[in-house]
Amino acid sequence: MVWGVKQWVGLLARLVTGAVWIVAGAIKLPDPSGSIRAVRAYELLPESIVPMVGYALPVVEVVLGLCLVLGLLTRVMGVLSALLFVAFIVGISAAWARGLSIDCGCFGGGGQIEDATSKYPWEIARDVGLLLLSVRLAIWPRTRWSLDAVAFPPRAGESSPGSGEGEDWNVESGQGR
Amino acid sequence: MSNRDKAAERAARAAALRAEQEHRERRRRLFTFGGVALALLVIVAVAVGLQLRAGDVDDTAAVPRGATESYGMSLGEAGADHEVVIYEDFICPACKGFEKSFDAELESAVADGRATVEYRPLNFLTQFGDYSERSANAFAVVLDAAGPEVAKEFHDILYAEQPPETGDHPDDAWLIEKAVEAGATEAQVSDGIVGLEFKGWVDNGVKAATSAGIKGTPTVIVDGEPVSDTELVEVLE
Repeated sequence: MVWGVKQWVGLLARLVTGAVWIVAGAIKLPDPSGSIRAVRAYELLPESIVPMVGYALPVVEVVLGLCLVLGLLTRVMGVLSALLFVAFIVGISAAWARGLSIDCGCFGGGGQIEDATSKYPWEIARDVGLLLLSVRLAIWPRTRWSLDAVAFPPRAGESSPGSGEGEDWNVESGQGR
Repeated sequence: MSNRDKAAERAARAAALRAEQEHRERRRRLFTFGGVALALLVIVAVAVGLQLRAGDVDDTAAVPRGATESYGMSLGEAGADHEVVIYEDFICPACKGFEKSFDAELESAVADGRATVEYRPLNFLTQFGDYSERSANAFAVVLDAAGPEVAKEFHDILYAEQPPETGDHPDDAWLIEKAVEAGATEAQVSDGIVGLEFKGWVDNGVKAATSAGIKGTPTVIVDGEPVSDTELVEVLE
């Protein structure tokens, strides 16, 4: 793919996943105890850490979403985003496999509801799509209109097509150029 | 010094300069990355702290007269054989089913002094709009204004005439109408229902139930232990 086009696709991936995180987190922020119940309904995590996860998850989602939209630490955020989507896919699949009928709590709500099983496939498909976009950002973090481009500008010789597009600006390679 | 040596020296100086620049740029990137990461961690920590505080019970909320300490309403004489606690949501269809199956049995157990029954209304199903919250608040308003007997009647009417989870929900005027049907007067309840007088108390009940590990509604607890429907039948016999 042409280097420029790739960066535009990266921008799109950032905006889509970032917006989803911001919306999902912002809906949950005003109702911390609802968020705790949503986590608890999965019956996966030990009860001792359920409240903390319930309190922290919406905050992490909003911050992660803002960073993705702004293009700040894109690689780190892409990895974090991918890990969270993997966790959600595992959670929903586990609930489905064990016959639990719960609201995924993805965008608020949560807890036991009736006839949830018909929604599981769509929820998993959506999360798989967002997981792929997140993985893409983790692999190619250089995108259009990002704060990263200002804070960590490409080094000399790096901006040319093909060279260094997957290079990690976070980890210092120590190789002179 | 020969020309060749001079050229070599110049080249070495230039290389040293490039290395120095490279080194400085690397340091700058490392510090920028560390600073941004640290700032983000601080933001997350502060926001989680605020969330923790928002999850605490609000002691300043108005409490309805006749309510229990545990955000419910209790019927029956103290010292009965069993203590039954029912966590319910007015919009939850399973709660309607539970009421249909067990209400008569529970009422007679209360009347015979076999059990006390505490109803704890919960606003759990927020995804279906604000009916859950408005009805739980209305229950508190009726309890406050007209006492437990009328509140129980109001509770029974709301389950008997429960709206479906999705779609349009009855408005406040309907709740007031049902409160009057249960035995309260309109003047007593209309302001409290429209103005969500006991919203804070309902919120506290939700927080307390969440801290207690209540997963869903209805949850029935007998003498401190969660029970299934069949276990409840055995206890009440």
